[in-house]
Amino acid sequence: MGRPRFFARLALPLTFVLLLSGCIGGTEGNQQEGRAGQTGAQAQGNTLQQVKDRGTLNCGVNNAVPGFGSVTAEGEYRGFDIDFCRAVAAAVLDDPEAVEFKPLTAEQRFTALQAGEIDVLIRNTTWTASRDGQEGATFLTTTFYDGQGMMVRADSSYQELEDMDGTTICVLSGTTTELNLASVFRARGIDHQPRTYEDNETLQQAFIQERCDGWTSDKSQLAGVRSNWPDNQGGPEALRILDETFSKEPLGPVVRDGDSQWAQVVDWVVIATIQAEEFGITSENVDQMQDSDNPEIARFLGGEDFDAGLGLPNDFAVKVIEAVGNYGEIYNRNVGPDTTLGLERGMNRLWTEGGLHYAPPYR
Amino acid sequence: MTSRQRPPLWRDVRALRVAFQIVFLAVVAATIGYFYTNLLTNLNRLGIGTSFSYLDQSAGFAISGSDFSPSESFLAATLVGVQNTATVAVLGIALATVLGIVVGIARLSSNWLVRRAAAGYVEALRNIPVLVIILFWYLAVFLQLPPIDQAVEWAGALVLSNRGLALPWVERTGGLAVFLGCLAVGVLAAVASWVWRTRRNERTGAPSHRVRWAGIVLLGALLVAFFAGGRPLGLSLPERGELGTEQGLLLSPEYGALLIGLVVYTASHIAEIVRGSILAVPKGQTEAANALALSGFQRLRYVVLPQAFRIMIPPLANQYLNLTKNSSLGVAVAFPEVTRITRIAVGQQAPAPQAIVILMLVYLGFSLAISLVTNLVNWRLRRTGGA
Repeated sequence: MGRPRFFARLALPLTFVLLLSGCIGGTEGNQQEGRAGQTGAQAQGNTLQQVKDRGTLNCGVNNAVPGFGSVTAEGEYRGFDIDFCRAVAAAVLDDPEAVEFKPLTAEQRFTALQAGEIDVLIRNTTWTASRDGQEGATFLTTTFYDGQGMMVRADSSYQELEDMDGTTICVLSGTTTELNLASVFRARGIDHQPRTYEDNETLQQAFIQERCDGWTSDKSQLAGVRSNWPDNQGGPEALRILDETFSKEPLGPVVRDGDSQWAQVVDWVVIATIQAEEFGITSENVDQMQDSDNPEIARFLGGEDFDAGLGLPNDFAVKVIEAVGNYGEIYNRNVGPDTTLGLERGMNRLWTEGGLHYAPPYR
Repeated sequence: MTSRQRPPLWRDVRALRVAFQIVFLAVVAATIGYFYTNLLTNLNRLGIGTSFSYLDQSAGFAISGSDFSPSESFLAATLVGVQNTATVAVLGIALATVLGIVVGIARLSSNWLVRRAAAGYVEALRNIPVLVIILFWYLAVFLQLPPIDQAVEWAGALVLSNRGLALPWVERTGGLAVFLGCLAVGVLAAVASWVWRTRRNERTGAPSHRVRWAGIVLLGALLVAFFAGGRPLGLSLPERGELGTEQGLLLSPEYGALLIGLVVYTASHIAEIVRGSILAVPKGQTEAANALALSGFQRLRYVVLPQAFRIMIPPLANQYLNLTKNSSLGVAVAFPEVTRITRIAVGQQAPAPQAIVILMLVYLGFSLAISLVTNLVNWRLRRTGGA
């Protein structure tokens, strides 16, 4: 091979390799700068900035629990948790529709949060000590105080948990319900066979075919499943949820550890909905309320030039309430007594009415 | 240029080859190093440990179909999963081989119906993804069996429902020491009789009937051991209760769906391998067998199959490895094999990178074991020049 031809043949692959290394080198360089910037600012994450730059909020949700996170026939997401995602987007991005919903299974949710695939996880997730400590996760204000229940077929004879000795019980894996089932039943000496499924669809099939005698989950989830029970299986009347609540399940949004600014942002969006209900501000009267004589309300809705230093605009509460309403409206729209789930407020009332929702003052 | 002079280094082909290999190795090492340090940095940033100490923590979840207690460790849970995977893999390999050989030979039958039926089976099942087959068996067959209150019972020995198939099983009713001792003696006697009959055959040419002899000796030893040990083993028959079966051995529908789905799918591949290796035996062998007036069965058994067997072993080993790895699809039907246990553990706060590394090592162990056995068989066949 003559020298000129050798070089000619080398030229093309060499150019290609040089271009490629240039591209890769470019992105590597940016990543290096980004990481250095983070380590410079006390190793804080900068999720708030990333969300604003991206223009959409990545929200990890459920797509299979009616009332909390589910998809309508037109492909739209609806639910209690979905509304809180929209509230955060309204506060940060001024657009409640600027949300990318990522449906996750119970097993995947924390890995997705750790890996940065989602900015916030609002997926009926229970706050526990080991999740706080070991999952690199920070839990925020509880949005729904729930408990674990047991659902059985209406024609079975079980009235209490003790009746279920020797039964087979279906449960979703990767949940606190799975762990509670094992420990509560063991503590009470009730013998049982657990069947752990990865997703609700297969579990529902197994329950319909009477593969298991009981279905345990958070009572809100069971109410949702029961409300959607197909008519050819007897409709909601074919199922019965036992009265007993055998665990505490505080459900709320979750963000990654190490980003206190983002945690505060999401936290105060949730608190704002609760505070709005306490002030009596609804999505219908929020405009009039902005001219209120009550200085507390005026400050809350962005008047008096008050900046709490959260990284949110002064009138973020107005944007949130205009987008999704106050806590009571969110509750009643998705899981309230007038919906198919028909859940009473119970523990989820405001503290002024004997419930557990208590917003810290906006001052 | 004479052949004595070496070209300059940058043009010397031999030097260039070595240089390229060094550069390639450096690139691979750098890539692996980058990914590894990236993983460690991010795990540290999130405060998630990189140690394997989670294995000693108590799991907290229960595993159906076993007496695993939630207070046992993650390591114990993983071992239960390994046991379940091994059950599926061993039984699956055995059944798939048998079914595959039968179907493979059937595809070459002279009977038109048998041939077409076998061809239909192979073509249909090879083209459906194995996950779909497993889901079909679970959702459309096993879950549709009658519920426990309408279970089918046969002769008090079998109970079939969608909670599983309950079979009679042996249970200990007494001490096993005497029984096992006599059995050990019996096994030795059977081996001795095998060796004696083989030697006799080699010496005199008389038919050895060694299988018959060894079998009878073993059976006799078993009976003697059983009665001498005071009947230490009993039969436990399944009884149907309201919520499930007590006693006996319960095969869950999840296990059945996974096993049957894998067997049926892998057998279709094995059938093709068997057919290919039978066709690969030179035609002259078949003609010579016919010339010796061997029947069809004798031709298969003494001439064709032994030679085809040698050709089949490497692709068969491949199918066995595939079956073992496909058993991880048990996650779809909630069968607690090792992949499912690992996923449950990760969902319950076991750190994902470490758990997945252990999972990969488990499958590597299985695959190496299967490869070892098949390589051994291969080597023996090559050494002795055929079965």
